[in-house]
Amino acid sequence: MRVVLAEDLYLLREGLKQLLTAHGFDIVAAVDNGPDLLRALLDERPDVAVVDVRLPPTQTDEGLQAALAARRQVPGLPVLVLSQHVERLYARELLADGTGGVGYLLKDRVFNAEQFVDAVRRVAAGGTAMDPDVIAKLFASSDPTVGRLTPREREVLELMAEGRSNAAIGQRLFLSESAVGKHTASIFGKLGLAVSDDDNRRVLAVLAFLDARTG
Amino acid sequence: MTRGLHASAAGLLRGCLAIGSAVVLCVHLVLFVPGLGLGLVFLLPWPIVRMRRFTDLVRGVCGGIPRPYRDRPGLPVPEPDGRYRHDRRLYRSPFWPRQLRYLDWALGDPATWRDVGWLLTNPVVGGVLGFGPAALVVGGLAVATSGGSAWWIPVGLGLVGLGLAVAPAAARAHDAWTVRMLAPRTGLGSLKVWVGRRFFTLTRLAALGGLTVVSAALAVLAFAAFSMFAIGIVGAVPESASAVRRFTTLRRRLADEWSGVPIPTPYRPEPELPRRRPDGLYAVGDALYKTKGWTRFFQRLDWIWNDPATWRDLVWTFTDPIVGGALVLASVGAVGYGLIGLAIPGLARLARLENPPALAVLTDRPVLALLAGLALVVAGAAVAPAALRLHGRWTAVLLAPTAKARLALRVEQLTESRADATSAQAAELRRIERDLHDGAQGRLVAVGLALGAVEALIETDPAAARRLVADARESTARALAELRDLVRGVRPPVLAERGLVDAVRALALDSPVPATVSADLAGRAPEPVEAAVYFAVSEALVNAAKHAAASAVTIDFSHAAGVLTAAVADDGRGGADPARGSGLRGMRHRLSAFDGTVRVVSPAGGPTVVTLEVPCALSSPRTSTSSGRGSSSS
Repeated sequence: MRVVLAEDLYLLREGLKQLLTAHGFDIVAAVDNGPDLLRALLDERPDVAVVDVRLPPTQTDEGLQAALAARRQVPGLPVLVLSQHVERLYARELLADGTGGVGYLLKDRVFNAEQFVDAVRRVAAGGTAMDPDVIAKLFASSDPTVGRLTPREREVLELMAEGRSNAAIGQRLFLSESAVGKHTASIFGKLGLAVSDDDNRRVLAVLAFLDARTG
Repeated sequence: MTRGLHASAAGLLRGCLAIGSAVVLCVHLVLFVPGLGLGLVFLLPWPIVRMRRFTDLVRGVCGGIPRPYRDRPGLPVPEPDGRYRHDRRLYRSPFWPRQLRYLDWALGDPATWRDVGWLLTNPVVGGVLGFGPAALVVGGLAVATSGGSAWWIPVGLGLVGLGLAVAPAAARAHDAWTVRMLAPRTGLGSLKVWVGRRFFTLTRLAALGGLTVVSAALAVLAFAAFSMFAIGIVGAVPESASAVRRFTTLRRRLADEWSGVPIPTPYRPEPELPRRRPDGLYAVGDALYKTKGWTRFFQRLDWIWNDPATWRDLVWTFTDPIVGGALVLASVGAVGYGLIGLAIPGLARLARLENPPALAVLTDRPVLALLAGLALVVAGAAVAPAALRLHGRWTAVLLAPTAKARLALRVEQLTESRADATSAQAAELRRIERDLHDGAQGRLVAVGLALGAVEALIETDPAAARRLVADARESTARALAELRDLVRGVRPPVLAERGLVDAVRALALDSPVPATVSADLAGRAPEPVEAAVYFAVSEALVNAAKHAAASAVTIDFSHAAGVLTAAVADDGRGGADPARGSGLRGMRHRLSAFDGTVRVVSPAGGPTVVTLEVPCALSSPRTSTSSGRGSSSS
């Protein structure tokens, strides 16, 4: 699996390189600034990109902007964004095109190599991987949409936002897969998402959720 | 010749309109009978709307006069409970509100009554102006061909010529008159506004004139107080000076509100009681006092005596009756004298009333007196705004702080805000140091210890080593989380990455109260200003959630005239007292370092609006953040 890596701290970049190579990924480019990242994304068309939000030269959200720009040109280009902090604002922007293949995680999550690599693979496969902190923040705010969900449905949505499959969710919550299916159907209903077989519905559910208070 | 013929033909058409209007009038009089006579008002709108068809036709014929009518009301919109409101009544069905609105629309429009007025007068005016020229032509021809004496021929032809000559003017006069009646009204309305405004201004001037009496009284009082001071009775000076200050403060406010001349307060801030010396005495200047009461008294005396503003106030109380009085005389006096001294007596004389009021001048020329009086009234009214402005300017000359006083005041403010800023900064650093010390630092020490132990155990007890490594990882994660919170409090990441508006948007997303953010900023404020405003808005948002029990908050950013404004409005219960509450004080301190201000408007029952204003320039946009998403909400 071909990976483009963007991280400006040398130590962290090398660490991520090692970690991903050890898990059988092929690092085709490792860059340390925004313009290089955009070029690498468009030239290499990797299977997945792992990108730090804040990159030189401006030390602002250059990495995020480059990722978004690349996805505008190559819809669905899988990008996993890493950051020292997570914001719903950014999560929404990443999910906004509804094509999936998006991850947004705290940098701390690389501590657990297995879970991190799992997240990278999920994103590469077109799924989502939202940091639990994003979801936790949402529950902390008094969102009317959130209010309509039962506690169990919240748990399911939280795991769904992290990008887990029904089977994985069932395992976590000690539920049968069909029970999880019922919960997800109910969540889709409450969020007003039409019934369809489209896998992207899970992405849309998360997006609708993050977007709940727009307008 | 052809022009005359054309015009007389047009006149005939207008004459026909006059006949038409007579017919329409008669028909409507009949139609109005049940509506007006029997009180069945709901029958009235229909004929009125019909009538408009005719007047619309007239407007078309007379050169496309614009329609003056108000727009037809839309359908009634139900209230949240499903009922319909009209005025102060609720209805279950939309039928009556619709009828009543229709009625209001038709009968409440002044254009309707001008239509009626036109219909009433047009049979005569339109008839004369329309048929007149044609009648002259026809009559002239009849006279010329009657075949009486040969002298009649030139007379008849003369009449024909006259008819043709006046025809265009008659058509123009007719159209002008119709425009006056049937076009949207502008002329008289603006005259009414003019008169209203002048009257308002004159009233204010008269009030200022009345206040000069107070000035004079205070001047006498102050004179007495200072005379007593000269013979050793010092007590009256601070009291009289305070009274003068209260009055001049009012006058400063009036100068701002009425004359549009803002005048800052020039007084030095009242000094605080000095600290007690080791020997138990208080020092004021070179003198020492035993008790607090005397200390305060002499301190006050010292404060008032040494403030140049006291003396300028005093000079102003003496001069205001003269200068202010002259300005009032020039405007209000002119109007008053013109009206009472000249116009009314002149009119009374013309009307041959018995015992007419005496005329001081022009006793035997009442017409001239009337005209002169009216001219004086108009002149006085015309100069009134200028007089009011001048009055404000004159007030500012003495009541505004001198350049020196302004500087002293500014230094005072800066000293205060610098003290605030440095103490706030020190407190902030203290907090950061404590957080680092108690949090991340401690955790890193723990990690180091654990790794050291792992080094020792890795050969002998791999299981224990693994446990320690897991602990170390846990500690690092905690330390990171704590550092993240710390960073958020020092300089929020979104603020650093995206600037103020997006940072506040992110804040609004995480707020427990639904918050909407809108912004109209052409660029970014300087970084320190952005941070200060961000934290102040964050504070306001917290207050809205915590104290106001609000269910929605709007945050609006704008920049005009070199001032960045952030308005945080909530729909909560209001009643926030800016004097109390550390939150508002904190905001004020934060912004004062940038000469920023916080205004809180919070009537009991809400809504509360907190307005933050910071003078600053915007730089050109560095990122694309505010474009395209400028007015999105969250």
